[in-house]
Amino acid sequence: MKFEKKRSETKQEIPTSSMPDIIFMLLLFFMVATTLREQEIFVKFSLPEAKAVQKIENKRLVSYIWIGDNERIQIDDNIVELGQVQKIMYDKRVTLPSVIVSLRADKNSRMGLVTDIQQSLRKADARRINYSARAKF
Amino acid sequence: MVNIKRKKRVGGEFSAGSMADITFLLLLFFLVTTNIDVDTGIGLSLPEYIPEDQRIEAPLSSDRLVAILVNANGDVLMNKEIIAIPQIAETLKEKIRSKINLPKNKKLVVSIKVDRETNYNIFMQTLDQVEISFNEVREEYAQGTYGKKVADLNEEETKDMREKVWKTVSFAEPEEIKK
Repeated sequence: MKFEKKRSETKQEIPTSSMPDIIFMLLLFFMVATTLREQEIFVKFSLPEAKAVQKIENKRLVSYIWIGDNERIQIDDNIVELGQVQKIMYDKRVTLPSVIVSLRADKNSRMGLVTDIQQSLRKADARRINYSARAKF
Repeated sequence: MVNIKRKKRVGGEFSAGSMADITFLLLLFFLVTTNIDVDTGIGLSLPEYIPEDQRIEAPLSSDRLVAILVNANGDVLMNKEIIAIPQIAETLKEKIRSKINLPKNKKLVVSIKVDRETNYNIFMQTLDQVEISFNEVREEYAQGTYGKKVADLNEEETKDMREKVWKTVSFAEPEEIKK
């Protein structure tokens, strides 16, 4: 007796015609999900490392202060003087009451400058602060 | 006679077969160029600013206070004893543990004081150690009381955990000697 192999009648291929659409969707997702860096940074800094870091849960609330290696302070798109920090941060606090200040300071800065900025923040009543650090494992 | 004939068109379509590859390339390009920079750091709340003439001195018993001093050279003094930075967490954990069952007005207060010339990195390492010690004791408490990780606690349990292992970190203002 002759056995015949059973073969399905249907096609053995995956339909690939919708592949571009799927990838386009993926592409769109990535384009929407990633935030492009909208700020240009004028100061040079390298963040310190720490173990007990946590992510900032709400990025919309974050306002950055950069402290560069030559003690220059940048807020938004401007290099500012220490004396202006309080005023700027106060304005930010008025428009966004729960603002989180992320301090991105160079690891070789002097604490004197950092403390001065802290004091300005306290006077501006923008007291939620985040000392930016890279995660160390 | 020369026979000039137009070539017949085969079909009015373009091949969509390579479409997937093109979009893949586009996707890869976006994946490579965009940087998802997660902002990590140590979050704290600064104390309220009170003008000098309105300040009230609150007495703090010495067994509640842990004073950490960091000088310009990066030497650390914890309750008047020299300590290496990586050892702060262990020493502090003992103290935090012993205060878990005390009422809120007897909990630990960690005060960090730096010099104006102290390196920021050293300050961050110190702060990191303090954070680690509180986080680890909280983790221990959550594990011991609820048998869960801190991240898995519900709202009420988190509140209780925060009350029990209460974190107070204060920054003393450095003396304004040189500016």
